[in-house]
Amino acid sequence: LIAADGQISGNKNTNNLLESVSFLRGPEDTCFEGGVFPAILSFPSDYPLSPPKMKFTCDMFHPNIYPDGRVCISILHAPGDDPMGYESSAERWSPVQSVEKILLSVVSMLAEPNDESGANVDASKMWREDREQFYRLAKQIVRKSLSL
Amino acid sequence: KMADEQQETSQGEMESECVNCLAYDEAIMAQQDRIQQEIATSNPLVSDRQDLSVLHGEYAEEDTIYQLKIKDLHKKYSYIRKTRPDGNCFYRAFGFSHLESLLDDSKELQKFKAVAAKSKLDLVNQGFTEFTIEDFHNTFMDLIELCEKQPALAELLGSFNDQSVSDYVVVYLRLLTSGYLQREHTFFHHFIEGGRSVKEFCQQEVEPMSKESDHIHIIALAQALNVPILVEYMDRGEGGTVNHHVFPEGSEPRIFLLYRPGHYDILYK
Repeated sequence: LIAADGQISGNKNTNNLLESVSFLRGPEDTCFEGGVFPAILSFPSDYPLSPPKMKFTCDMFHPNIYPDGRVCISILHAPGDDPMGYESSAERWSPVQSVEKILLSVVSMLAEPNDESGANVDASKMWREDREQFYRLAKQIVRKSLSL
Repeated sequence: KMADEQQETSQGEMESECVNCLAYDEAIMAQQDRIQQEIATSNPLVSDRQDLSVLHGEYAEEDTIYQLKIKDLHKKYSYIRKTRPDGNCFYRAFGFSHLESLLDDSKELQKFKAVAAKSKLDLVNQGFTEFTIEDFHNTFMDLIELCEKQPALAELLGSFNDQSVSDYVVVYLRLLTSGYLQREHTFFHHFIEGGRSVKEFCQQEVEPMSKESDHIHIIALAQALNVPILVEYMDRGEGGTVNHHVFPEGSEPRIFLLYRPGHYDILYK
């Protein structure tokens, strides 16, 4: 599957749980530009009633990505499942959302972090208070992603 | 190089702190899951029909506002069928109650089947992806076909208590609601708060599971399927009587629901 802006993913079946590996390109004109970031989408048994989960398998440093790589954005959450207290107007998972939409949302999250909902509090803080340092760390992560 | 190393250490320290906030978020989600589980084990998706008097026991005897209103409700209704309070109760109550009423009305059932069969095409023409919605539509049609065979009520009740069948019906009713609101957006956009478009409202408040329903959802679904709905409103308001609304206004209701703040159950005469 090749999504609209060049994301590539493929499927593999492990432990009865459908997983799909995607490679996301860092969006142009952002500090993640040039990076190619591998991530796993895991689909629950009641998909599409419940959303898949997404986890980067490379190093990431970003306000909306947990230190273990899990992605925390509103479209990956059902309305009742809301640890970050997203604003009510945020985009939610529904059974008619698509994987392509998720990948697009994650790419736009890379471009525009939401520092209100911090999955990585330190990254949120750095994004707000020391943007230059954040950019330097992002550059390191981009370089690491290319030397796979 | 020194600077790099320093960065790496400080990043390392930060990560160990952040493992704690991850654990915290996970604890919140685990607790939400437990609450959902508790609600699920104590409430079937759709219950057996019960005598309306069970309501008296749900409120304190000295809670006169509710006790009086339950008495008032007794003047018109005899039974109640409860639904699980999971945010999908309006759709589940509507779906079950309507199909139940069609079990012994084959003429209405055929009319409804035709409306339901055509509804998928309307959604596809509006831009919903066919392969995304067809599983939900098929489940809905399967249940209508089950009703054509005039099964025992227990069989219909069983289907509505089968989580995946029941939830697929809820999804399809949500899509019909969304589709109707979007087709009639020039009318409905007047009723949407927060400067959102009708499409945004549907994506945030109608299509996601567990999002609760309000007047606007009820009007849309009643009109999308041409099934008038009467809702009795029972809340803490003074007066001792229960107020009702019929959707759409002025029509002859086919199904009767009881609304208490945040929840819908089914009523029977």
